[in-house]
Amino acid sequence: MTWVVWRQYRTQGAIAAVLLAALAAAVLVDGFQIASHWHSILVACAGNKACLQQQPTLVNGVVSDLPYLCLIVPVVLGMLWGAPLVAHELESRTSDFAWSQSVTRTHWLAVKTGWLLLAAAACGGLVSALTTWWSGPVNAMTGGAFAPGQFDTQGVVPVGYAVFAMALGIAAGAVARRSLPAIAVVLGGFIGVRLLISGLLRPHYMAAVTTYYHLTTGSFTPPGQAWVFSQGAVSSTGVVVASGWGDLYPALQPVCQRLIGSAPASGKSGSMSAVFSCMQAHGWRGFATYQPAYRYWPFQGIETGIYLLLAAALVAVTFAIVRRRDAL
Amino acid sequence: MNTAIDTRDLSKRYRRVSALTNCTVTVPEGRVSALIGPNGAGKTTLLRLLAGLASPTGGTASVLGGAPRQDPAFLADIGFLAQEIPLYRRFTAADHIQIGAHMNPRWDASFVRTRLTELRIPLDQPVGTLSGGQRAQVALALTLAKRPRLLLLDEPVAALDPLARRNFLATLTSAVADAEGGLTVVLSSHLVTDLERVCDHVILLTGSQVQLSGDIDTLLAEHKVLVGPRKDTAPIERAHTVVQTVTTARQSTLLVRLGGPVADPAYQAEDVNFEELVLAYMGADEAAASRHLTTVGEGS
Repeated sequence: MTWVVWRQYRTQGAIAAVLLAALAAAVLVDGFQIASHWHSILVACAGNKACLQQQPTLVNGVVSDLPYLCLIVPVVLGMLWGAPLVAHELESRTSDFAWSQSVTRTHWLAVKTGWLLLAAAACGGLVSALTTWWSGPVNAMTGGAFAPGQFDTQGVVPVGYAVFAMALGIAAGAVARRSLPAIAVVLGGFIGVRLLISGLLRPHYMAAVTTYYHLTTGSFTPPGQAWVFSQGAVSSTGVVVASGWGDLYPALQPVCQRLIGSAPASGKSGSMSAVFSCMQAHGWRGFATYQPAYRYWPFQGIETGIYLLLAAALVAVTFAIVRRRDAL
Repeated sequence: MNTAIDTRDLSKRYRRVSALTNCTVTVPEGRVSALIGPNGAGKTTLLRLLAGLASPTGGTASVLGGAPRQDPAFLADIGFLAQEIPLYRRFTAADHIQIGAHMNPRWDASFVRTRLTELRIPLDQPVGTLSGGQRAQVALALTLAKRPRLLLLDEPVAALDPLARRNFLATLTSAVADAEGGLTVVLSSHLVTDLERVCDHVILLTGSQVQLSGDIDTLLAEHKVLVGPRKDTAPIERAHTVVQTVTTARQSTLLVRLGGPVADPAYQAEDVNFEELVLAYMGADEAAASRHLTTVGEGS
């Protein structure tokens, strides 16, 4: 059976291999340039953080869209390879040929699905590896490991996405029995699930940490590339003011309000420190709610696990359909 | 003699449509059975049920000693060729031979190559570029290369010109002869004369029900055309089963299944041929059809 899969997919596989090789070459060339540029910046700034932040953007040109490619690859694989796996055989009636050989449908589906999921994982992994390596300097400079454009395109989650998209395509094809609707389902379903999980679930994989600090000792920054949900000040009665301080004035005790009133609207740090001292004296505390940086890999693992579980469920559905449904 | 196919009240409903109703047929091993019936009579459904490509909603089927099932040994014994001649259009015949070799325990690749070479069908050309007749030959050769014990062919010659049809049936006939009784065939077709040439057994379906099944020679011996003066046919109907009645102003022509010797000397009994027999049963009106249902069975 493996040979049959190879025969059916060798052309597409070769095209994919060529495209990936071209991509890898482009990324490597560009990545080394970025790395050397980054190195010279590091030398020039000599550890000065402000200097680093004043540097123009590291990445430009065509390759700067690499993270987006990382987002697209899984869904394209699911649409082009996953959706037709069962659907095209049914459409072209070749299922009658395939399922009339001396191989059970379960075996047939297991081998085809197995190899395609493996191929998806490999493609997702390769693109992710390239992106992760290429993004090293950018990560160091911008420092938002949990930012959507970074978390979603690096590490192991792209592998989960790719496997999920492939499984979604295969299952949609088995349900719809036609490739085109299945392709549409992959596109819509993949985007929908990704938005849902990254928007609603991801922040809650683990309970966020809240750290309180003295307002007078200056601002607090969670160590490393943490995912900060909110930061600001909280009063002894539980009134929360976000760190933009826009809503600070009405929340303050009159004593402290007067300090703001006497300060210029620009809110220079000198005058704000008096306000902070006043707030501190009246029971205000600074707080930051965030996912600590060390949770990056646990989060990557949890998210990958969720997508792999979804993929497993979709594969199970496909098996149930192909085994039970009459091959019309 | 062993039975290759034995069904009892086999039925298949697709939602509200009944595709096959209480089908009870027996095909002994080594026979070539003609599956005849108008479009929509349930021929395809019966073949797919026997091949295990569909599951029945009622009744049972025993194929080569067991129910059709998803089991490599069972699948290896069944050669199924669907009406649409399903092949991978972009793959060559040689590709299909290799695919078959990877998906079947006993695979006679040299048979396919020899047969296709004899027919001058290119092995290295995508099958999508071949003619319909050539594709059908490729598909049949591939199906035979499995060395099946039961061959189920669903209108494989429907789209072929007469010459291609003859070649196709010749391949089939020689395969049956080579198997020396080890190959049973069910072949559905509209072309009664073709079927008569290659078949020795018949299953006739109309309106999702079996009207007639059995050994062709036995059935032909059991049926007579009675020609006589136009008069009350009630005595005949009591003694025999009337399949079809044609009356003109002066005479009646009755196609009957004999219930005994023809007693009335006014009638002259003539032999029927296969085509007359098939057309009589296919033409019988629904009411008559349901009456005959009870008499349907294995002829031998």
